[in-house]
Amino acid sequence: MKKRTLSQIIILLILIAGVVVVVLPMIYMVSTSLKPNGALYEYPPRFFPKLDEITLENYQYILAQKKFIRNFINSLFVSIVTVTVSAIVSSALAYCIARFRFPGRTVLFAFIILTMIIPGMTMIIPQYELAVKLGTINRLGGLIPFYVAWVIPYSTFMIKGFVENIPRELDEATYMDGGSVFTVYFRIVLPLAKPGIASVSIFNFLTAWEEFPWANTVINDDFKRTLPIAISGFFGQHQFTQWGYVFALSVLSLLPILIVFIACQKFFVAGLTSGSVKG
Amino acid sequence: MKLKAKGKIQIGVLLLPGLLIFGLFTVYPIVRLFIMSMTKWDFGSFANQELIGFANYMEVLTDKDFHVVFGNTIIYTLITVPGQMILGLLIALLINSLLRGQIPFRVAYYLPVITSWVIASLVFKYVFNTEGLLNYFLCNVIHLSKQNIHWLDTRWGGMAVAMLLGTWKGIGWNMVVFLAALQTVPLELYESAALDGANSWHKFFDITIPSIRGTILFALVMLTIGGFNVYTSIKLITDGKPGHQTDVVLTWMYYKAFSAGKFGYAAALSFIIAIVLAILAVIQFRLMENKE
Amino acid sequence: MKKKKISAIALAAMLSLTAFAGCGGQSPNVSDSTAGSSDSASGNETSEDVTINFWHHYSAQSAENETLTEVLIPKFEEENPGIHVNAVSHEWADLHEKILISAQSETLPDVARLDSAWVPEFEKMGILVPLNEEMTDYADVSSGLLESAMTTAEVDGKNYGLALNTNTKILYYNVEALKNAGIEVPTTMDEFADACKKLSGTNEAGQQVWGYDEPALSGWNLCPFIWSMGGSITNEEQTKASGYINSAETVAAIQMFADLYQDNAITGWNSGDIPMTDGFGTGRYAMLLEGPWKVAEMKGAYPDFAYETAAVPAGKGGSISVLGGEDISMFNTANKDAAWKFMKFMTGSYAQEEMAKCGQIPCNKEALESDTVKNADFAPYIEQLETAKSRPTVACWSEIDSALSEAVTAVVNGEKTAQDAMDELATEVDALLAE
Repeated sequence: MKKRTLSQIIILLILIAGVVVVVLPMIYMVSTSLKPNGALYEYPPRFFPKLDEITLENYQYILAQKKFIRNFINSLFVSIVTVTVSAIVSSALAYCIARFRFPGRTVLFAFIILTMIIPGMTMIIPQYELAVKLGTINRLGGLIPFYVAWVIPYSTFMIKGFVENIPRELDEATYMDGGSVFTVYFRIVLPLAKPGIASVSIFNFLTAWEEFPWANTVINDDFKRTLPIAISGFFGQHQFTQWGYVFALSVLSLLPILIVFIACQKFFVAGLTSGSVKG
Repeated sequence: MKLKAKGKIQIGVLLLPGLLIFGLFTVYPIVRLFIMSMTKWDFGSFANQELIGFANYMEVLTDKDFHVVFGNTIIYTLITVPGQMILGLLIALLINSLLRGQIPFRVAYYLPVITSWVIASLVFKYVFNTEGLLNYFLCNVIHLSKQNIHWLDTRWGGMAVAMLLGTWKGIGWNMVVFLAALQTVPLELYESAALDGANSWHKFFDITIPSIRGTILFALVMLTIGGFNVYTSIKLITDGKPGHQTDVVLTWMYYKAFSAGKFGYAAALSFIIAIVLAILAVIQFRLMENKE
Repeated sequence: MKKKKISAIALAAMLSLTAFAGCGGQSPNVSDSTAGSSDSASGNETSEDVTINFWHHYSAQSAENETLTEVLIPKFEEENPGIHVNAVSHEWADLHEKILISAQSETLPDVARLDSAWVPEFEKMGILVPLNEEMTDYADVSSGLLESAMTTAEVDGKNYGLALNTNTKILYYNVEALKNAGIEVPTTMDEFADACKKLSGTNEAGQQVWGYDEPALSGWNLCPFIWSMGGSITNEEQTKASGYINSAETVAAIQMFADLYQDNAITGWNSGDIPMTDGFGTGRYAMLLEGPWKVAEMKGAYPDFAYETAAVPAGKGGSISVLGGEDISMFNTANKDAAWKFMKFMTGSYAQEEMAKCGQIPCNKEALESDTVKNADFAPYIEQLETAKSRPTVACWSEIDSALSEAVTAVVNGEKTAQDAMDELATEVDALLAE
């Protein structure tokens, strides 16, 4: 028994040491955001600000700027719509592929697997051309169909795994009662695949929330930018970089993700598990 | 099961939005990408793109810069993929053997995963600055180095920072995936092995690893794709400097397309990346099958 | 009943999807005024309201940008009811890239502030409006602006922009650092190299300090050294680089840079280096070559820091700096009337005087005579401007520029000798010029 307690303590210590190393950069980010802007090239550099030096001036500056509030709302809007639309579309696709044989089913599934393998960014040139043709350049809403298209393959693949785990007898019973394909989708598939849909939705939210290259390419106006573009926009290359502002905005932009993550932790693991164990 | 006409229509209605979006925004661009890779298309010649066959592919494959950026990508993948998997599995094993208090560790180790690439890259850039905290620590606190190390200014320094960031950010994902897999390994296997007198190493290599082989494969394929997907960290930390020596395939593709205006070249490059990844995925599946 | 409801939901979902997919049915050039149109509720808007998009590279947190958005644009909108200006700030290199990309997609802004070195390139792409042909009052407007600056926007006798501001770089130095090192302000290139070495080393806190900072290795950065030391990029006709970009003088200038870098006497272009203003203000870089905007920047970030300016150190080519300056140009997809009004406003004496307060040397003759400008003490820059040269005015300049910076990067990192690198570069640039 004693040996067991000892090994538990050792494991605990190793894990705590690991956590310290892993979260160190994030603590440094928070501590830098609390330093006065001018102290960033101080010498010697400090990990924590001096106590009497701690200030919220960086946050005050950020929150006083209309455009950053707007960037925040933009990111929230794009992420929420992307999540909602892709949840509906992917679950419908997953349901059809899992349950019905229709012409082109194999080809569709093969394409879904294929696009999971290819990095989304390799398609940025033809997608840019497409965005030009559709006139969605420099439009916030124009980001959404592209984001949805990027997350569909993975989402469909994952949700399909959940749908396949739903006993077919439930479908049969619904049809017996006079239900239709829609009835099964809304009353059987959606409720029972909810954990799967929830877990991919968290991923999709994160994807849309942090997406950088596409939004950076197609969005021009300050007021249409999403948060990642706003954050990287602080870098006037050869001027001076206000790291205090950069990190204050970064901390603020992490908050929604943190909230979503902690609130949905349960689903999150469930989703990953099903995908990996099936492999 | 036989479906009536109405059922078929309803299936069609369910499929339609997905097919439309997927078809228009993913399948069509892939086809266009292939056509573009066969055309001469530079800034200024937007209107008249002429077909030139595989010339762009030849140009990419014989380009010295491409060899450098492709090498960088391969090295990035070869180092970060095993790095994340080994550390992730190690932490998963440790957490799994904890009798209580697993959840806080799971959350803490997952934090880097949910930190966006833009933010993580900027933090690393700040820490690894020549005048940054890390150099101060190395030179003035533990005196490991006499001079500030130019982390971001050389090919391997820049790549090392990007690889460290990639590994740091990926450990949590691997930890969660492996933890889930470990919890499905039947305890009886360990118990009977213990009766046979197997030690921890034997248990790990003879029971744990074979039992989670499916997960290892899944992680391997996903992480390899992730390794080729690296863009934001390089873009924000070094932007390819000095002289494109720290560029990876995607930053190079973006540079060629949107800065140099060589759309045909960039399209061919994109297609080459896609083909390489498809081949790698097939090989990885085959290797795992053979071991079985 | 239930079924109907469900189908209705699905239908609604689909409709919303198609709405997203097709949300860009209109032409992208229809200016939309979602950004900053705070007065849309005022009821004054008529159908003639237009919004023009103005792209520039005043950096987002700068005094210039503040003057632009808080003073100039409100004033312009007040004077020109019905016209709104949506100003967008890009980083210098991003602006160039964004314009190239937008030209492909016909999503160009109406007006942009362009580095005058870009004008030939954009002219060749056919995206700029020839103002002298299309604007009836062009002659009146241009005659109010400095002739020398106006030539930067001229290609083959046509005029593609109005000179917005002019500038050049001069030497900035840390007074105390030079005093402590016991050296005079360098007036020749030899003295300069010597000063860089003497000013570098470690300070009392044990930190490394450098004699000179150069934030990049492009033409804008290297040309003052190449020219002052008697070298050049191309021949006079701008048709040939061999024998010029790899001449003994040019190679010597590059070699000086490489040697000083190897001696840890200069730095700045590396990703991990301290940004210019911070490094200068905290005493880590003792000297810079910079333009008039630096004064306002230093005042904002390091108000107590003591520095002085001097002419670019002279070599056997003289003291030759690089001619900077921006033109304000109109793209051919613009709303021409509104765009022209805005361009005239920005080059008018009021706007030019306001911008002079942030360190932008005016091109408007009337503004140049004003008290604001006289008090701004632009004298050292204007003196340096007399000998300043412009970078080659060729359409492929951007490509030459990036090839140059790649070649010099290889030299300073010791991968190639200066002669080899410049010989290779000469062949490359010859090919670009021949296109």
